[in-house]
Formats: sequence, structure tokens, C-alpha cells
Amino acid sequence: MNVHTYEKLWLIAAMVLIVGFIATITYGSVGLGIAMVGDQQETVEPTELADDERFGEPRVEQIGDDEYEVYVVAQTFSFQPDPIEVPENSQVTFHVTARDVIHSFSLAGTNVNTMVIPGEVAEMTVEFDDPEVYGVVCNEYCGPDHHNMEGQVHVVPEDEFDLTEVSVDAPDEVDAGESATVDVTVENRMLDGLETTAELEIGGETSVEEVALEGGEATEVTFTVDPETLEADDSDVEWAVTVDDHEERGTVTVIDAGDEDGGDDGGETDE
Amino acid sequence: MSNTYLDQFPAEAKVVRAAFYSSFFALAIGGLFGIVQTLHRTDVYRFMDSADYYTVLTAHGVLLAITFTIFFLVGVFTWAVTTSLDRGVENLRFTWAWYGLMVIGTAMAAIPIFAGFTDSIDMSASVLFTFYAPLQGHPLFYLGLVLFVVGTWLAGVDWFRSWRAWKAEHPDERIPLPTFMVLTTTIMWYIATLGVAAAILLFLLPWSLGLIESVNPLLTRTLFWFFGHPVVYFWLMPTYMMWYVMLPKFSGGKLFSDPLARVVFVLFLILSVPTGIHHQYLDPGIAEGFKFIAMTNTMFLLLPSLLTAFTVVASMEHGARQRGGTGYFGWLKALPWRDPVFTGMALAGLMFAAAGFSGMVNAGMNINYLVHNTFWVVGHFHLTVGTAVALTFMAVTYWFLPQITGKALWSRPVALVQVVLWFVGMTFMSNAMHRAGLLGVPRRTAEPQYEGVTFEAAVGSVGELNAQIALGGVILTISLVLFFANVIATGFNGRSDELPSNGYADALSGPEDAPLVLDNLKLWTAIAIVLVIFAYTFPLLSIVQRGGLFGPEVITFPVSLESLAPIAAALEYGGLATVDGVASAVTGALEPGRIAIAEVVR
Ligand code: HEM
Ligand SMILES: [Cu+2]
Ligand SMILES: [Cu+2]
Repeated sequence: MNVHTYEKLWLIAAMVLIVGFIATITYGSVGLGIAMVGDQQETVEPTELADDERFGEPRVEQIGDDEYEVYVVAQTFSFQPDPIEVPENSQVTFHVTARDVIHSFSLAGTNVNTMVIPGEVAEMTVEFDDPEVYGVVCNEYCGPDHHNMEGQVHVVPEDEFDLTEVSVDAPDEVDAGESATVDVTVENRMLDGLETTAELEIGGETSVEEVALEGGEATEVTFTVDPETLEADDSDVEWAVTVDDHEERGTVTVIDAGDEDGGDDGGETDE
Repeated sequence: MSNTYLDQFPAEAKVVRAAFYSSFFALAIGGLFGIVQTLHRTDVYRFMDSADYYTVLTAHGVLLAITFTIFFLVGVFTWAVTTSLDRGVENLRFTWAWYGLMVIGTAMAAIPIFAGFTDSIDMSASVLFTFYAPLQGHPLFYLGLVLFVVGTWLAGVDWFRSWRAWKAEHPDERIPLPTFMVLTTTIMWYIATLGVAAAILLFLLPWSLGLIESVNPLLTRTLFWFFGHPVVYFWLMPTYMMWYVMLPKFSGGKLFSDPLARVVFVLFLILSVPTGIHHQYLDPGIAEGFKFIAMTNTMFLLLPSLLTAFTVVASMEHGARQRGGTGYFGWLKALPWRDPVFTGMALAGLMFAAAGFSGMVNAGMNINYLVHNTFWVVGHFHLTVGTAVALTFMAVTYWFLPQITGKALWSRPVALVQVVLWFVGMTFMSNAMHRAGLLGVPRRTAEPQYEGVTFEAAVGSVGELNAQIALGGVILTISLVLFFANVIATGFNGRSDELPSNGYADALSGPEDAPLVLDNLKLWTAIAIVLVIFAYTFPLLSIVQRGGLFGPEVITFPVSLESLAPIAAALEYGGLATVDGVASAVTGALEPGRIAIAEVVR
């Protein structure tokens, strides 16, 4: 076969180019350790996510000083949790799965981008340096409302970040003249200890309790509210529980003797 | 008296004509939908519900990427085989039968797609041309696709029959180049379509009929891309054929090298299929190593395209010098730029070079993360299939029409304006799509305007990009209108006696220079199959092992028009959809000088 000299040169240049590309990317993957979404993760049953250890409760978890894991569920047409909050200067591993059809989990304008396939778990580790709000879109068609599927990742300053969970157990109604108890459960899901206060505001009065928790610990703080405090103009008395920047609100209905219809709101809340 | 294809093969010319007209019909409807979705997405003009956008997009994708391209190429291939072997088809009824099957298949797939527009028919297939499960289309949609593909298989049988019959009479001759190209492409297509046939026949069709409960979404998706990548070469190889055997003729010269052309087609045959996983770089459940193999194959697949670039330019230069062109670049002026066939094809080739660059970005498995499923990708394939292929097909139509109708082209100036407009329109549209993709604007999205997501352009703005996309789309639509005006008006012309003769370009270095082994189709087929086995056995086994042959239990998602159904389903499955959380305003929180690329580490 006679091949023209220029054609030979071109052929050689083409091969050099191709091998060069492969080498560059191999270096990128192996040398620099840029990871791909792969098959590291165990599969899941899409119909049984509610009982799944990882995805039953989509959440952020701390696993090391500056290391976090996030369990995300994508479904028509939202992401859970949303927004996802992580601190600055952290290394965050996302685990994403789908409850129904194929979606994507993509931080707009970045290379944090993965397909989300029912039954499979996408894993990717990302370093977040500065506080920033990232928009998350689903970039795989997933049904008629696909264009409304969005979320956010909030990278917040370290001092604004915590993994404190607050839940309040307060009665819906109390009889007039009786006192009420409000139980506040504070859980510290960070690895480090937490010192803060739990504050109850009710009927214009404020009471504060100190809370000190080791990492991973939970405690319950009980407030007892006097009958006098519950005497308001209205029979519905509003309350608010504040722990750092977590706030829970509700109302207690004070029932006069003979007054049969109680309030139907307020009561148990859970963050 | 002229000696057109119609004069030589009157019966075959009718089949080619029917195939071309079917193709143009798909182009017309698909193109109309193209402008509808362009104006909708960019929010320039919206007249339909956003849920219908996906029905439009399904029709646009299927009609243009599958129907338009494939009907055209079966016409070209039939022309190529009959012309280069200088013999008619073996059995005309058989030829019409495969054409008929393709038409029936198209109609069957189109019915549920179009039924998606109306509530009164309880049928739909708004699953896009990739039909990823668990999204589920109507069974008729899958069945139609199968019949269409079977039609193309039979077309391949037809071409092989012609070749065998010819070979019996010419035992010592080399396969003529155009026929060689048809045969290698057909073998590639047979291997490639096994993937989609398996996906549909074993899984999706029985599942849509309710015979099986569930499917493995990653498995059907992988089988789709087993086919979905090489289908690209099913469009490109006929395009390359036009560049090899027709463009030199229109430039006034000869093909530079017949042997190199054969090498290129052999490379396509063996490398097209074992690359499909490059569409799945971001898929969980496929090991990095498999992705790496697909990438390596993909990079080597650049080789035949780079060789083509050389041959095409060298052949054009040869033609120009024959026409009296001189100088290093001066010869360019001697090319027949007033000829719409030449100019259209040359511009298509130029755009393909640009597409090569964005393609290399797509192919790099880690760079791909930045652009995967963004508008960048749409920009990329409107350069490849939307221009390199489509513009070549339109341009060469101006040569084919007189050949198959016996009538002179209605207007060459209009044709010239048409191909130039396509080039200009696509430059606007595709360039802006690429840029929008880099900002993270997703593809396949009716309203890429979000409450909590902003796309920040370093230069210009999203509004400016949208304007360019819409402008480009409008120019493309005008170009299409001119194209159809020419096709239709030509049909109304009377028969002409002064048409150019049928034929294709000779080669400077002919087949006698090509080693015999190049024509050993069995050998290349065997190598192709071995490579496919290498690239796919382990990934497929691993996918089945992980998720099961019929998958985990998945929630079937019939795509019906009522957007309520899936929402209800979502809520039923524990959807705590906290939509209001998104409402928090973002814009203020974004720093002006943010670094767009979060670092992915491991
Ligand atoms: C008038 C000319 C055209 C216009 C204005 C146009 C416009 C568009 C737009 C805006 C999209 C993106 C939709 C989205 O992702 O949301 C799209 C998708 C697409 N276009 Fe075109 N297009 C045109 C011609 C073509 C041609 C000639 C072809 C192929 C031969 C083609 C093939 C496709 C394909 C395969 C898709 C992807 C469908 C999908 O994602 O499922 N288009 N087109
Ligand atoms: Cu989506
Ligand atoms: Cu591909």
C-alpha cells in the first residue's frame, strides 16, 4: 500500500495526539487522584428506601474532623434533604440514590455531577473551601415536572454550622389552673461536644437551661410552666423553643372548666 | 439524452426516492419541533404547557436522529451499491418490503408519541429517544422501533445479496469502494443493534406489556448505549462516504487514496461499538476500569476521523489544482464555492472539525463531569448529527434529486443560500449552547429557569446566550423552509435531458494499491466481535450481578400527560417534598468572584 509522505506524518501526529490524550487523563485519574463515580457502593432496594440504614433518613453526618457524609434521595421532583448544609473547609462525600426513575444530582456550573439510578448509589467526594450557595439541578429527564426539580447546597461558615437536632414535646391543651411541662430533646450529631442553651418563651416569660453535650449525645430538658404564665387574654398561648439558631413553635390551648372545644394545633414538633 | 441514476435504474430510483421523501418528511416535522422547543426553552415564545415540551422533544429526537438520518442513508446505500456494482437489486419486491417495514415501524412508534399531545387518547411515549426505564412508553412505541430496525436489517441483507451475486460474476475484482463502505457500515450496524434489540425484546417490551414486573434500569440503559454510540457512526459513515466518493468529484478532482478510505471504514467497524460506556462515565454501578477501557477505545476512534480530515482536504486540494488553483492556500479560491453541493458539504466538514474539539472534551472521562447532560452536549451533537450529517445530506440532495427524479433542480442560488444559512444559524445556536452548558444549564429541560439556581456567565449573560440560541434556531428554520421549497418545486419541474450523469469520484491511488486483507470482511467482523466481548462482557455481568437481570423492584413510571400521577406516586413513597425550602433567595449570597469548579477528590 503506498501511503503519501504527508499522510504518514499526519498519521503519526494523530497517534501522538491520541496517546497524549489517554496519558493526560490517566495521569489525571491516577496521579492526581481525581475520582470517578464507580461501583464502590452496595446496591439498594428502591422500594424499601424508607427502611434503609443509609437512606431511610436523608441527612448530613459527620465522620471526621472536617469530613462529612451526605445521604441524598432524588425522587420526582425533589431532592432530600434540601437544602443540604455543610461547613466551609470540609471534605464531603455525597451518596445519592433514586426512589423512582433515573435523575441526576448536579451542582450547577461545577464538575460535581452524577447520574442517579434507582438501585444504585452514586458516591462522590467534594472539597468545599469557602461559604457559598450552590444550586442543584436534575439534568436527566425524569417526567413532566422535571424542570421543577432543584435543590441547594449551602456551604456555611464554620461557626454557623452544627448538626443539632431539636424536638419538642409540649401538650396541645391544658386545663385552666394546671401547670404544663415542655420536654425539649437536644441531640448533638457532631463529633465534638456542644455547649449551648435551650430557651423556652411562653406567655411573655422566658426560661433558659444550660445544655452540655458530648459528641453524638442527646439530652432532654424539661421546662415546667406555671398556671399563671398560661393565663392569657386568649385561650391559645404561643410558645417558642430556641437552641442556637433552631427554633420550634407551637401553641397550647388552655381549657376553662366547661369549655369543651380544645385547640387542634400546636403540640409535638420535630425538626 | 442524459444518463442519470433514473435512466440506469428506473425501478431502484423509485425506492431511493421513496426513502428520501420519507426522510424529508421526518426532517420537516422534526425541524418544526426544533424551533418550538428552542423558543420554549429560551422563554422567547411559549404556547404550550411545559409538560408537552417533553413530547415535542421525544418527537424531535426520534424523527431527526433516527427517522430522518436512517431513511436518507438507506437511500444513499441503495444508490451506492447499485451504482458501484452496476447491477440492480436482486429482488425488487424484497427491497420494497424492507422499505415498507421501516415505514410501518416509524408509524407505529409515532402514534403513541403524538398521542402524548392529547388527553383523549390514553397512550403516550414521552420517554425521549433514549427511553430510559423505569420511564415507560406505550408498547406500540417499542414495537415500532423494533420493526424499524428489522427493516434496516433486511436492507442490509439486500445489499449483501447484491454484493454476493456480483462477486460470483467478478471473482477476482476488488469490492468497489462505495459497496465496501456500505458493507462495513452494515456489519457495524448489525453488531450495534443487538444491544437495543436485547433491551427492547428481552426487557422493555415484555415489561410494557405487563409480562414482567420490573427491569434493571442500569442494564437497559447500558444496552441502549451499546447501540446508542455506534448509531452515531451509522449516520456518520454514509456522510464520510459522501465526503470520500462525492466531494472530490464536486471539487473537480479525484479521491486521494482508496486504500486509506478502506482503512478508515475498517477502523470504524471494529472500534464503533466497544465505546458506548463513554456515555455512562457518570453512572453509578459501573467500575472505573470499564469506563477507562471505553475511553481508550473512544480516543482511538479519533484516528479514522483525523485520517478522513486529511483525505478530504487533500482531495479538495487536488480538485482545486486541477481547476487551475495555485499557492499554499490560494488553491482554496479555485474551489467551486458557487455550487451548493460542494459548499454545503465543505461547510459541514468544517463544522465537524469544530465538533471534534467539543467531542474530545466529552470523551475525557474526568473532564466529562463538567459537561455531562448540560446544554454543551446538545451544542456538540447539533454540530455532528445536526450539521456534519444533516447538512451533508441536504447538500448532496441537490445532486441526488435530479438523479432520482430526472428533473433539474429548481434553484441553485436558493440552494446555496440554504446551506450557508444552515452554517450561520448553527454557528449561533451551537456556540451559545456550548457556553450555556459550561455554566451548568441542563439539557432536556423545558424551563431551565430556576428559583434557587443561578447560572453565572463570566462573559455575557444567560439572557444573551438565550437570544443567540433563539436567533440561531430561527435562521435554521428559514434554511429548512428554503430546502423544502427547493425539493417541492423541483418535483413540479418537467423532465430534463441535460442532467449530469450518475457516478462518483475516481481515486488517485486506486484499490489495486490496497492490501487484499482489507477486503476480508470476515476477519474484521471477527475482530469487531472480539473487541465487543472484551469491552462488554464484564460490565454486563457485573451489572446483572449487582442489580439482577430483571433488576430490583422498581416503580414503573408510565409517562402520561397528567403530571399529577407521578407526583402522587412520589408522595405515596414517602415524599416529604419540602419545596418551600428552596424559596430562600440565593442571588445575594453568591460572591462575585466565585470559583466555579468545586474540587472533586477521593
Ligand atoms: C431547525 C433546526 C433545529 C433546531 C432549532 C433544534 C433545536 C434543538 C434544541 C433546542 C434541542 C434541545 C432540547 C433540550 O435539550 O431541552 C434539540 C435537541 C436535539 N436535537 Fe435538534 N434542532 C434542530 C435540528 C436538529 C437536527 C437536524 C438534528 C439531527 C439530525 C437534531 C437532533 C437533535 C437531537 C437528537 C436532540 C436531543 C433530543 C433529546 O435530548 O432527547 N436537531 N434540538
Ligand atoms: Cu429530572
Ligand atoms: Cu458516543
